Amino acid sequence: MADEVPRSWRDPDLLIKALPTVLLQTTCFLAPLVMTFLLTFQRSRNFQLQWSWDLWTWTDVFSKPHYWTILGHTIFMAAATVAICLIIAFPIAYGLATRFKAWENEIKVLITFAFITDATLKIYGWALFLDKNGMANYALSSIGLPPEMVAFLYTDWATLLGMVYSLSAFAIFTLYLSISNIDRSLILAAYDAGAGKFRAHWEVTLPLCKPGIWAGSVLIFLLSVGAFLEPKVLGGGKSPMSAELIRQTFETRVNWPLGAALTLVLMVVSVFIVLLFSRLIGLKRAGLAA
Amino acid sequence: MTAILDIQDVRKSYGSYAALKGVSLSVNQGEFIALVGPSGCGKTTLLKQIAGFEEPDTGRIAIAGADMAGVPAAKRPTSMVFQKLALFPHMTVAENIGFPLKLRRTDTAEIKKRVGQMIELMQLKGEYLTRYPRQLSGGEQQRVALARSMVSAPKLLLLDEPLSALDVKLKKVLQAELKRLHRSVGVTFVHVTHDLEEAMMLADRICVMRDGAILQLGTPADIYYRPAGSFVSGFIGETNLLPITISERTSSGLIYQAADIVDTDGRIAADLVAGKVAKGPALLMLRPELLRVLPPGETADGAIAAEVTEMFGKGGTVQYRARTPGGQMLVVEIPGTSSLPMRIGDKVRLGFTKKDIYVFGVEA
Amino acid sequence: MIARLEGRFIDIVLWGSLAAILIFFYIPIFTLIAFSFQEGRFLTLPFEGISLRWYGELFRNTNALNALWNSTLIAIITTVIATAIGTMAAIAAVRYRFRGTDAFRLLAGVPLAFPQLLLGIVLLLWFSVLGRMLDFSTGISTAIIGHIVYITPFAMVIVAVQVYNFDATVEDAARDCGASSFEVYRYVTIPLLWPGIFSAAIFAFLLSWGNFYLTYSLAGSTRTLPTFIFSGIAIGSSPLYPAIATVIFIPGILLVILANRLRRT
Repeated sequence: MADEVPRSWRDPDLLIKALPTVLLQTTCFLAPLVMTFLLTFQRSRNFQLQWSWDLWTWTDVFSKPHYWTILGHTIFMAAATVAICLIIAFPIAYGLATRFKAWENEIKVLITFAFITDATLKIYGWALFLDKNGMANYALSSIGLPPEMVAFLYTDWATLLGMVYSLSAFAIFTLYLSISNIDRSLILAAYDAGAGKFRAHWEVTLPLCKPGIWAGSVLIFLLSVGAFLEPKVLGGGKSPMSAELIRQTFETRVNWPLGAALTLVLMVVSVFIVLLFSRLIGLKRAGLAA
Repeated sequence: MTAILDIQDVRKSYGSYAALKGVSLSVNQGEFIALVGPSGCGKTTLLKQIAGFEEPDTGRIAIAGADMAGVPAAKRPTSMVFQKLALFPHMTVAENIGFPLKLRRTDTAEIKKRVGQMIELMQLKGEYLTRYPRQLSGGEQQRVALARSMVSAPKLLLLDEPLSALDVKLKKVLQAELKRLHRSVGVTFVHVTHDLEEAMMLADRICVMRDGAILQLGTPADIYYRPAGSFVSGFIGETNLLPITISERTSSGLIYQAADIVDTDGRIAADLVAGKVAKGPALLMLRPELLRVLPPGETADGAIAAEVTEMFGKGGTVQYRARTPGGQMLVVEIPGTSSLPMRIGDKVRLGFTKKDIYVFGVEA
Repeated sequence: MIARLEGRFIDIVLWGSLAAILIFFYIPIFTLIAFSFQEGRFLTLPFEGISLRWYGELFRNTNALNALWNSTLIAIITTVIATAIGTMAAIAAVRYRFRGTDAFRLLAGVPLAFPQLLLGIVLLLWFSVLGRMLDFSTGISTAIIGHIVYITPFAMVIVAVQVYNFDATVEDAARDCGASSFEVYRYVTIPLLWPGIFSAAIFAFLLSWGNFYLTYSLAGSTRTLPTFIFSGIAIGSSPLYPAIATVIFIPGILLVILANRLRRT
């Protein structure tokens, strides 16, 4: 399958294939990240960037609890999103891997389409649905229920709903992959050992799809700390999350160094949390490998 | 006879692992040669160097007198049948077989004619031409792979264990097919296999390899009855290896002692001794079917007393296991209709003829 | 007996949750489609009537048409480049071993796990600083670069699955049949990887076509359909926006079905 002997970087075959990616991701991903880091040592005066090379911005970041409250809120929402996504994804992924065989492709098409459709549209659709004069309330009151029962638009609950909506497909796909890789005979062996169906899955399926659970959790967590549309459109911007704070810092306050610092803080804290958990769970690189 | 393939001291390493440690081999035009050995012995590596998928680190490979150094696989007059067949799944049978010709810019009518000939040679049905490989059975796929390799009339056909994935029955059929094909086309075959029995059936000469080197090169009978050492002797069938001590070695042969053997003269002729054997401990080989049960009073060149411990019917023959007083286990195979059947617990004398034995040194 | 009941119960739970999640996934999509047929000016219920009025408006609205054109242009260029780079990276990542294989895989895949808004911002900073030095400003081309950075890893992962299931000995076989490196690619490698490359291209197109975050940060004053809709939500919208949304759905569902069909054959 793979090479038996490592190739030299002078091999033209390797160069043609790997170099474009290396160039693209170093110049348009790594270099911007490094520059973002360097920007945090500058200052912003009168909406202009000044190359001052000091720790002024970092002092600001660490002295204002406001930023950290928002960060804490963001992490909390992200963690909640991960938990809910996993819970709702498990039965779907399990069904896809085992019971829905006849409809497997149709179901995958439906899920993929919903997943790949642009987030702006879907969030906008939710806003129209949940609005106090929206679909949900209209439907409920037309069957005789009191008006405006659905009233959680512009709360954290709506934000959470949007985030789960946008990201749960990741959990479905990663769990589906790892469940379909489980050897069926292991579960049969568990039945044979006298376990009931629930017990068998609890003891066999769940532990074996740990890598899938982990990969899905990491992806969802990292992507949801950057959520922006959901808190803005569905949460009504009332309890801002980090992404919104960062965007405002750039756009409204035009403070690039501060925005850069807040971006880095968000990334570093998220990655740190992921690493901490992977150490706790004892799955070092399963997430990346999957 | 001219050598179609000449390999001189070829060496190949992957990092620190030496896969070929200096292999030399000369194959004659029209010969069927088998490279045999356990996995990791270097046989497939050697084949890759011949086919041109890899270049040896040092050494020389010549095909039909032309040095192949720097010649890529595409330009060599060789053709390979792969272990996994490697038929192109997106091409029909006709496109698969005609692919080498298409690459040589052969015109369509000619391609069609040659593909038709190949189909006939391989005894495939004409209606298969428009099918895809996955619609064929394992044996049919095998024939298509052979046809694709033969269509460009290569000087050397290289076979990389193409039969190893097949079930026993189909394997037998295709072995016969290969033999027939070799006779009818007269192309030189180099066949890699880990199955020495298959090599015995097919090859004119067998090259036994181990740890990147050739242990022995010889006819099937040589390999079976005159193995170069205990490794080769144990590679096919069962055998008895009795420890002996050589007390004297002369030009005409050697003189030996052995605990369990009653020998008439204690001498072995030089042509029954592998080259390197010197004074000291050595092994005496006796194939199970060359031992016979001696009726009371009869003598043989050599005799061994033993007690029968087990017996298995093998259809036409019966195999016995017997223990000598010294504790050595022996395997004996005699015809099922033998007039001297044995039972477990019988004390017997097993005799052999001197020309049936072979002696080689103890391997480290 | 208990096992049978358990089995029945599990079936009910599984099919029930499938139905629930599909309804959940399609609520906003059907809400938008429904509102696009609203005759009246406002996005409220009950409908004043059912009509295609807003689709007509859409095709008279030059801003919307401009956005449609920009979305298409960006998506096509992104698709071609991201699929090409991603395919090559997939072959290198799966088939080749070289110094730094792991680092290469990480570098090639890490933008997948990077929040898009932050990627957009980091790139915006980069382009602003570079733009000041080299005198250019953000617009369609910077948006395309951003899309390529984000979408190439997706393309790579999709093609990598195909490469992984690809038996490399057929390439050796082709070489043995007399094929040059170019002929091996033309007759064997590309045709066999084609289903993967094609689905990667479809995904790349859809991800770019509907992308909001990166375009929002990087396109300067250029509007695409998603950013056009976003600005519409803010102003207080009319059924024009649901109509645009519905138009965006159409190529999406067709392409996803096509990709799925291809991967099965």
